Order: sequence, then structure tokens, then C-alpha cells
Amino acid sequence: MNVLKEWIFTTDHKRVGILYLIGSLAAFAVAGIVAMLIRIEHTTIGPTITNNPHDYNVWLYFHGAAMILGFQIPVLTGYFANYCVPLMIGAKDVAFPRLNALSVWLFYAGIVLALATFVMPDPPDVLWTGYPPYSTITSGNTAFYTFTVLLIGFASILGGVNFLTTIAFMRAPGITWNKLNVFVWSIFAAFVLQLIFVPVLGSAVTLITFDKYLGTTFFDPTKGGDVLTYQNLFWFYSHPAVYVIFLPFIGIVYEILATFAKNRVFNYKMVVYGGFGGIVLLTGEVWVHHLYVSGMADWIRVGQMVTTLLISVPVGLVVIGLVGTLYKGAITFQTPMLYALGTLFLFLIGGLTGIPLAVASLTIHLSDTYYVVGHFHYVMAVAGTFAIFGGIYYYFPKMTGRMYNETVGKLGFWITFIGTNVVFWTMMDIGVKGMPRRYFDYAHFPQFEFAHQIMTVGALFIGLGFALAIFNWIHGALKGEKAPDNPWGSKSLEWTTATPPPSGNWKEIPKVAEDWHPYAYGNR
Amino acid sequence: MSDHASIQQEHPQHWETSIWPLIMAVGILVALPLGFTFKFAYNQPLAAVLCLGVGVPLIIAAVAGWVNEAITGGEGLSAPAMGWFILAEAMIFVSFFASYWYMRLTAPDWPPGGTPELPVVLPLVMTTALVASSLTFHAGEVMLGRGDRGRFVAWLVVTMLLGSAFIGMSLYEWAHLFGQGFNFETNAYSTVFYTITGFHGAHVAVGLGIFLAMLVPALSRRTNDGFVRTAGVYWHFVDIVWLFVVSQVYYW
Repeated sequence: MNVLKEWIFTTDHKRVGILYLIGSLAAFAVAGIVAMLIRIEHTTIGPTITNNPHDYNVWLYFHGAAMILGFQIPVLTGYFANYCVPLMIGAKDVAFPRLNALSVWLFYAGIVLALATFVMPDPPDVLWTGYPPYSTITSGNTAFYTFTVLLIGFASILGGVNFLTTIAFMRAPGITWNKLNVFVWSIFAAFVLQLIFVPVLGSAVTLITFDKYLGTTFFDPTKGGDVLTYQNLFWFYSHPAVYVIFLPFIGIVYEILATFAKNRVFNYKMVVYGGFGGIVLLTGEVWVHHLYVSGMADWIRVGQMVTTLLISVPVGLVVIGLVGTLYKGAITFQTPMLYALGTLFLFLIGGLTGIPLAVASLTIHLSDTYYVVGHFHYVMAVAGTFAIFGGIYYYFPKMTGRMYNETVGKLGFWITFIGTNVVFWTMMDIGVKGMPRRYFDYAHFPQFEFAHQIMTVGALFIGLGFALAIFNWIHGALKGEKAPDNPWGSKSLEWTTATPPPSGNWKEIPKVAEDWHPYAYGNR
Repeated sequence: MSDHASIQQEHPQHWETSIWPLIMAVGILVALPLGFTFKFAYNQPLAAVLCLGVGVPLIIAAVAGWVNEAITGGEGLSAPAMGWFILAEAMIFVSFFASYWYMRLTAPDWPPGGTPELPVVLPLVMTTALVASSLTFHAGEVMLGRGDRGRFVAWLVVTMLLGSAFIGMSLYEWAHLFGQGFNFETNAYSTVFYTITGFHGAHVAVGLGIFLAMLVPALSRRTNDGFVRTAGVYWHFVDIVWLFVVSQVYYW
């Protein structure tokens, strides 16, 4: 009983982090099953497992909203930030432990609303974007969509306030800004973005609920409103949201790569200040590329094309840093490393296939096709999820005090990796050939039926691979061998505490040596 | 490794806990999303009232318990943290104002038909009250710095009276305009008018709630300098935003 109390009333950053992990993996599992339903539905032309297109809309809503708002953002800025940041900067906890606990429970409240989709009458059916006018006239319950976003968004803002204060004021003596782990920097940058942009999403979804239920006219053109206002507000957040996901997941990949290559981070200052800083500065000026086909003046289109292409410069710095970290490293290929390298591969494909989408003239052809779906799954969805899975494997020994099974881990990786490329490469291929996205029934495009069947098989591979990983964690946490304090031989501070870390992390605040650096692996 | 284990067995670890964050999250979930949805999406006013009846007391209890726990420990970093929070708050107002400017600048004529004459004097009185309340709060903060708890409480009460007067005038004005047929659904101007003034008014109300949570322990001689300074930063922010609201929505 006491143990249960110490978990659900906990204010300890590690336990709050694990609560985030459990909630977001639950969202991931349900949203993943829904993705399988979507794929199986497309196995044949016409209805396959449901006759009701409305069900299909609800699935698309839940898959998108839960994967982004319920899984990727919370697991990265909730679980990883909570678990690792205080350990990496040598703090005993975050600046506001109670506020941290409030964040995680608000996140759970949001998850409860999202999962209610499957039991309530008239669930939301507005995709994860909630575009008006559909979202303000549908019989679906748009209010639940709004409140899901608001609860998780508010949790995120509180988390941002907490972590920016923690990183700025609670670093152990001797850990200067230039000796922070790349992951800590990435969390800092991601939370700056969250604080600036989440409120805008919050306003946008609040205004659709006002329009739908209170009768205001923000998006009603007959009374002086404009639907494009919503699209602008929505993408003003939701493009930076991609970087809120990208920055922490690439931060995790940096940690894994440096540890398993036993190497310094290549061009540390350029990655942090040029790469992350450049992304933070530029990401608020590119959102209009989501609206290329919504109607706008040509000069805006050209301007946004330039800023969109320009952001590949800081992103390029970040990727060069990753490759440079591998250069002349003593690389070993444990499961976390495989996932990290998988992320690099998938992100490169996703990044390069994004360049045509930045070009306004090409987008007119590619917009609203499966090419877009394939692209953003590569660049954000699966690249991010691979980094997340690698990170969970990486911190698994520290977190549970036990080891996972290496063979099952690698098997899971390869199955997922193959499935991923089968599904999303095929998706981009048929997208270029004209397969439109979000269609319940593709009777007008019978030539793509075989491709859809291949993708369904690939999706089952992805599901099997992820299921193996989750099974591996549950089994390892219960039955695995005892893990040593620092199984990977990392130089970073979080591995110097006991395994699993006790309450308060350290007996006293750690003191680092003058020449200490989280990536000081000797001169290579 | 075995060393750690043996230490832990001899001295069972004490994990920090607090019940109030969970209570507050449950209260927020029940009161706002469920209350709103029952009333407006499913048209079940009774269930909505029930949700408010359960949720609001939970939130109040959580605030009281939380303050009670935190007021003795100095959470010394809360003032800089409030700076980050204000960045987020400011962005909400920026997006509302951006929607308003976009609607207004693309409208063929402004104000759109159906807009009554807005009062001119009342907003000035409201502005005076709110600006004065910022000054009185600052006076209270200075008194607390000198260790004079009695004068601090007095200035805090004056601040709360001024804030309540502001909300009262705002509600009176809303009722007045509703009476003239200017409601949420009238036109684009009514939409932004009620959204922006309502959202700002909600911030004033939250500020009054914070002051109340500060006043009750102060009466039994328990104060926390960090708490007072943080609340002050928030209150001055709400005050400054009002200057934008009043100049953009009333006098432009």
C-alpha cells in the first residue's frame, strides 16, 4: 500500500518520468493498433473491415492525435526530460517537483479524454488537425478534441516552465553551458519552442470550440470570419511541433552515438548553437508551407519556400555532427546503437524527400497525396519512434536495474526496420503516382490495390517488431539479469549514480573535475 | 552494486510525495472538459452542474493544500519561472490579437452592422482601477520587505477590492451590451470583443484567486516572499495586457 502511495503521489522526477513513459506507451499501443486497422481496411478496394466511413475518420483522428500529442511529445519532453535532465546536470530533482507531478496527471487527464473516443457517443472525427468548417459543423464531439489538446498542452507549458528553470539555475558546480549534454540542450530548445508555440495551438482549438458551441464567428465567412485564420494559427504551432519532436529525439541519438562510438561529439558548439539555435530561430517562419494549396499571394509562397529551404542548413549541421561523431569511433552494435543508426538512416530519407515538398511548384502536385504521408512518417514518426525505442533500451538498465535480452532486442529492431521501409517507401511511391491521402475507399485508383496489400503486410511487421521490444522490456524489468551501474561505459554524469538511482539521486551534489566533459573519451 | 543494496535495506528510502497535484488534475478534468461537454455537446445541464460541483471543490482543496505545503519551504526560483510562463501567456494574447487584426483589416467595413455604441467612460474607470491595483500590490510588497505583515495584508486587501471592482464593471458592461442585443453570435466584432475581454477577465479572476490563497495564510502570519514576488509579476503582466486590450478593442 505504501509503495502504491509513493508512486501515485510521487513528486520525484524519476518516478514522474516513468509515469509519463507508461502513459505514453499506452497511447502508442492503442494508436498503433488503430494504425493496423487503417492499413487492414485498405487491403481491398471498398469496405474491408468496416462499412462506415465515419469509423475511418475517427481512426485517422485518434491515430494522429494520440501518436503526436499522446506519445511522441510526452515521451520525449515528459519521460526522457524528466528522467535524464536532472541526472545529467547533477541536480537532486527539478525546480518544482509538485508542478512536475501536476504536469504528468494533466497529461493522463488528456489521455483519458483521448481514449474516451472509443466508448463515447459521437467521438471526434476531425483528424488531428481539426480544420474548420468541418470541425465546427460535424456531429462529432469537437470539444473533446479541444480539451485533449488543452490539457496536454497545459501540461507541456508547465513542464517547459519547470525544465527551463531547472536547466538555467540548478546545474551542479562546474557544469557550464558548454559542458551540458547535447540532450539537455535539445530539451532546452524544445521547451523554448513549446512555450512560444503551444499557446497558439491552444488558442486555435479553443476558438473552434467557441465557434461550434458558443456561436462566435472566427471561422464563419458569412459573418466576417475566415477559415484560413485557423490554418495559420494551427500550423504556426504544428510546424514547430515537428522540431519539438525532432530536437529531443536527435539529442537522444547524440547520447547513444557518443557512448557506443566511444567518441567526442563532433563540432559540439556548432551543433548546439548553430544547429539547435538556428532551428529555434527559423522554425517560426516556415508554417505557411502547409498552406501552399490553401490560397495565398505568390510573394508569400516564394518567401516561405526560401525560409523552408533555409532551415535545412541548421538541420544539416545537426546531421553532420552525428556522422562526425561516428568518424574514427570504436563502434559497437548493441540494440540502442542499432536503433540510433536506424534513426539516422530514416531521418536522412525523410529529410531529403522533404525538399521537393518545400518547393511550391512541386507541392501543388504532391499535396494531399500519400507522398506527404510517407515523407512525414519517415522524418518524424518512425525516425522519432526509433530514437525513442533506442533511448528506452539505452536507459533501461539505469531505470530498472536489470538488463534486457540483447537477441530479442536486435530481432525486434530488424523486423521493425524492414517493415518501416516497406510501408513508407511504397507510400511515397504511389503518392507520386497520384494516390490521394485520407480516402476511405480508393475505388477510383484500382491500380494501387497491390501496393496497399504490400503496405498492410509491412505494417504487420512493424507491429510485430514493436511488440517484441515492449515484451522484451516487460520481461527484462521482471526477470532480467542485474545491471551494473554503467553497463555501456559512458562518461556522462547520469551513469555515475547508483542503479536504479535512489531518491534524491546523489548523497550530495556531485562535483566535477576541471577537465570533465560528458563526452571526454580521450583523444581520438 | 551490493553496497548500494545493503545501504538501502538498512535505511529504507524516503520518496517525496504530495497528494495535491493529483487532486488538482482530477478537479480540472471533471470541472472543465466534462462540465463543458455535458452542457454544450450533450445538452445535459444537470450533469454539467454535477461536474462543477465535484470539480471546483477539488481544485479549491488542492490549491489550499498545495499552498499550505509550499508556503514554509522557500521555492526560490518561482519568480524567474513566472517569466517563462508569461512568455507562454503573452503568446495566447498575441494569437487572439492576430486573429482580430486579420479579421478587422480584411473586413469591408468596420465596425460591422449590429454593433451598438460602446461605452467610453467605463473602460477608463476600469483601466484606472487595474493600474491602481498594480501600484497597491507593489506597496504591499514593499511593506512585506520591511517586515510589516499588517500593512502588507491591508494593501493586499485593497488590491483585491480593486480587482473585484474591475471584474464587477466588466460583468456589468457585458450584461449591458447583451441587453442591447450584442452577444457572442452578433458579428465579427462581438466575437473578438467577448473572447478577448473574457479571456483577460479570466486572468484577473485567476489573479484574485492567487491573492486569496496568499491572504488566508498571511492572516495567520505565514508568508513567503517568493510567492508574493511571483504573484506580483503575474499581476503586473495582467495589468499591462489590459492596456493592449483597452486600446485595441475599445478605442480603435
